[in-house]
Amino acid sequence: MVNPTRTSRPFNSVALPALAAGALVVVAIGPIVLDRFAVNVLTRSMIYAVLAITVDILWGYAGILTFGQAAFFGIGAYATAIVATHVGDSPAMMALGFVLAVATPMLLGLLVGWLSFYHNSTPLYASVISLVFPIVVTQLVFSGGVWTGSSSGLVGYTTLPLELGGFFRLAGFCLIVIAVAAWIFVKSDAGKLLIAIRDNETRCSYLGLNTSRFKILLTACLAGVAGLAGFLYAHASGVVAPENTGFVFGTELVVWTALGGRGTILGPILGAIGIDYLSANLSGELPFLYQLIVGALFVVMIIVVPGGLAAVVTKIAGIGTNPTAIASVTVKGVASRPSAGWVEARDALIKIENLGKSYGSHHVLEGIDLSVRAGELVSLVGPNGAGKTTLMRCVSDGTLEATGVRQVCGRSIVRLTPSDIVALGVGRKFQVASVFDSLTVADCLRMARMAIDPPSVFAASRTLALPLSSERIVKLTGLDQLLDSSVSLLSHGQKQSLELAMVVALEPRLILLDEPTAGLTKPERTMIGGILKSLTEELGVAAILVEHDLDFVREISSRIVVLHQGKLVLDGSVEEVVNSALVKSVYSGGGHA
Amino acid sequence: MRDGSNGWKAGDDLLKLSAVSSGYGAVTIVKDISLTIKRGEIFAVMGKNGMGKTTLLKTILGFIELKAGDVTLEGASLRGVAPAKLIASGVAYAPQDQPLFQDLSIRDNIRLALRSDREFKNASERAFSYFPFLRDRLGQKAGTLSGGEQKMLTLARSLMHQPKMLLVDEVSEGLQPSVVDRIAAALKNERDANGVTILMVEQNLDFALRVADRWAILKLGAIDDQGGMESNTRERVLEHLKI
Amino acid sequence: MTLLLDIATTAAVLFIVASGLLAIFGVLKIINFAHGAWLTVGAYCSVLIAHWGLNPWLSLPFAFLVGAALGALTERLIVKPLYRRPLDAILATWGLGIVIGQLITLWFGRDVQMTPNLMSGTVGFLGVDYSAYRLFAVVAALAVGIGFTFLLDGTRLGLSARAVIMNESLARALGIDTGNVRLLTFVIGTGLAGLAGALLTPLTSVDPNMGVAWLIGAFMLVMVAGSSFGALAVACLLFGGAQVLVSTFLNPVLGGVTIAVLCALVLRLNPKGFARG
Repeated sequence: MVNPTRTSRPFNSVALPALAAGALVVVAIGPIVLDRFAVNVLTRSMIYAVLAITVDILWGYAGILTFGQAAFFGIGAYATAIVATHVGDSPAMMALGFVLAVATPMLLGLLVGWLSFYHNSTPLYASVISLVFPIVVTQLVFSGGVWTGSSSGLVGYTTLPLELGGFFRLAGFCLIVIAVAAWIFVKSDAGKLLIAIRDNETRCSYLGLNTSRFKILLTACLAGVAGLAGFLYAHASGVVAPENTGFVFGTELVVWTALGGRGTILGPILGAIGIDYLSANLSGELPFLYQLIVGALFVVMIIVVPGGLAAVVTKIAGIGTNPTAIASVTVKGVASRPSAGWVEARDALIKIENLGKSYGSHHVLEGIDLSVRAGELVSLVGPNGAGKTTLMRCVSDGTLEATGVRQVCGRSIVRLTPSDIVALGVGRKFQVASVFDSLTVADCLRMARMAIDPPSVFAASRTLALPLSSERIVKLTGLDQLLDSSVSLLSHGQKQSLELAMVVALEPRLILLDEPTAGLTKPERTMIGGILKSLTEELGVAAILVEHDLDFVREISSRIVVLHQGKLVLDGSVEEVVNSALVKSVYSGGGHA
Repeated sequence: MRDGSNGWKAGDDLLKLSAVSSGYGAVTIVKDISLTIKRGEIFAVMGKNGMGKTTLLKTILGFIELKAGDVTLEGASLRGVAPAKLIASGVAYAPQDQPLFQDLSIRDNIRLALRSDREFKNASERAFSYFPFLRDRLGQKAGTLSGGEQKMLTLARSLMHQPKMLLVDEVSEGLQPSVVDRIAAALKNERDANGVTILMVEQNLDFALRVADRWAILKLGAIDDQGGMESNTRERVLEHLKI
Repeated sequence: MTLLLDIATTAAVLFIVASGLLAIFGVLKIINFAHGAWLTVGAYCSVLIAHWGLNPWLSLPFAFLVGAALGALTERLIVKPLYRRPLDAILATWGLGIVIGQLITLWFGRDVQMTPNLMSGTVGFLGVDYSAYRLFAVVAALAVGIGFTFLLDGTRLGLSARAVIMNESLARALGIDTGNVRLLTFVIGTGLAGLAGALLTPLTSVDPNMGVAWLIGAFMLVMVAGSSFGALAVACLLFGGAQVLVSTFLNPVLGGVTIAVLCALVLRLNPKGFARG
């Protein structure tokens, strides 16, 4: 658990350079003090550690369990060896080998990413693709004839003119550079997006972020890094073999990452180097027993300590894994972005005609007509199962199959993904507060601005630019005092407020709110009600609110729409609906409408 | 057999909730509820949507973990008792949401509530006594029944074991008056003839007051008002339920 | 004709190998990545039976029992804590597969083991001479398929398992001990995997890593089939057929990846695979 009272230390600015410098010294003197065998094995281990970092960024940070990094590594190694064997070994050809070793995996990474990630793709499917890919690559290598050397691989090609110690230093240097780059990346604003995707991908796409595209790019970049590792390996070892591309090697990478500690950069490095080096030393004497122990340890670790050795160490040492290494964040209100045709009160922001949605033979919604203009606060009421949440889903996710017309700002949203619809100006707040539990309050709010202000890949910002309306919610609810706190420490009401602030930070023209006050205390409900009223009345935002608490509805709505058994039975002013006999029978009698 | 021979009599405390709070994750929905249900009575919990009625039932059954307080049945705490065990011990439950396996036949829906197929004949006869139409349609898929028929099947299934206690969630929702009458009669008869204690959650005020002996109103997860059947009960309850 | 028989028998073998995995995935939504290890265990049960000089047919029930017993242990110790973390369950069962593979290696050595044939020679079938055992595999696959259909449609356990698949919270609300249903399902799945391993022995060499080769194909077929045995049979026929055709007319090495590639593409186009709804 994160300790809320702990003061943040500027770990980034002091410890990281010191650690990197120390590691550089160790790498430089390593070949002098170690014997040949150790230098040889550790060179390989450090290259594997580079791969473990890529697996960790994908799996530990972004939540994508992958077995495919081995294939990208193998492709890089084979590209290097094939160029050296069949094309030429002049320096220019070496350079060509290097370019191909990085570029080929990147291109294939785009392909694999495109296959794996699309709207509503499942994490399991991405893992399946990452499993199939290395198998295909291995089989292609086997059937490559003289080009790939088939099952015996390629050997005897010209390598870089470096001694054993030189390769050790090269591998160590690359490892340190990549580790530092990875460290900076995961701590940057863009890196937080990885964690946000892992925590709650749905929320990301409802913040207007195209997560599929981000994951495809990430896959391609890390495929390039794996290809670079393959290049190093092909030169350092002087031999490439089909096993280097296989999914079994891919699973080993995952095992090392898991044992070292997913979601940390150092853990997987130490896991890869430690296990590979130990196994090289012990496999002579206890070949099977050693693997047995690693396997058993892995199983126990997954079940009992999913965080790996890194989690055990930090727990024992009492170091909190600090989600932000920033001293403190300040909020800065910014003017709303200019918007063409911002308030045209006569036009409907959202228009629904004859909307129907059914699951099999069960009709959830039938013949719904509804349009909402700027500045209106429309409450959607009705008993359980009336179709209120389904209606919200239909207007915020165009990929959901339904019949009839659905338009936002005059554009049909059919087949548009939630992130496309957010770009049209629709923000959605979910029933259960949908935020990012592993991030801080400030980072959550920053995610909401990411589609508008592109994030930095290098830096972690210390200021937080929010539109004034969102800033007001943050201040009113006291969240401005909690910007550095982890979201997991917030109360239920604070999370609801945070989500509302995030949605408002999108500067939507239309806000969809699904029971924003469920489980809140009376003062909290009053405050949320006030915020909604000022958003609609002062800023001209339109809001559709699903709500059970009819007292609350009566206080804040400008219009009430009643749904019953999938049909719109009433649409009128607060007075009309409250005094309607129909509504009374819907609520107290439970009879057919 | 629960026929009174082992010493109980109507009016004993059967189910007792002491300062119960529960909810999902960090959210507390049911707040500090204390309630005693006596053996042989019909108790109606009313309230608007989203006020925690279903959560209360699920907490009693053990589907939702207690955050505070205790629930006892016949004096024994239910803390840590698995729902399956509690239900097997004679507490029946007729849920509101998706109470039936839509793709299974009526027969299979009934079988799933039995511990052994040998019980089928006796138990189903009991189930059919109130709703004979089920007898002729055993092979029909539950999903093809009308809404009212599904409610009747759900209730029939929960009654077939002759439970000592029955928990029903909005059994009258969306039903025609004639079906509501049949269900009301079935519930009353179970109590009168077999001594079944019933805790029902309802939004339908008329139905609830027709059947119940005592009632409570839930608002925002806490008990707002409660009482027995008096001349002004209807007005008092309506005041809480109206829009 | 031989080609058709090849397709039918290949599909049959695939079906036998994948059915245990499907039983577990269909009900528990857990991918048992130790499935390959169970195949290996089943095959080594045949080795043991031969070693003890018993009738080779005894290896079938023996392999089922050993697989089931190990499955019970695994469900309670490893899988049960991970039902809510399905990706971690893949990893933990993969780790278990490593452990089992190494235990077998420690015990039996790495060498390829020989087992006696259950059935040898060829029989004339529709005008061609064909391996008797491969034809038997079709019979065995039909038996497994029919057995499963009976188990699911004709028994209380099957009914409970289907109820758990369809709506677990309702199953619990009716007093079904879903934990026991899960345990039994897992045990049956692993028992079947053991049985499949024993049935494979005449067709493939027996060594500690034999299971891994079968795992991926079975896994992909199960992904496509979802939770339906009918869909699995169709998938085996279709993709097994494609594999035979590619191996025969193009390249046997590419034939080895046909199933995986085709299944991945089918899933990309239709994430639900062949399963309806």
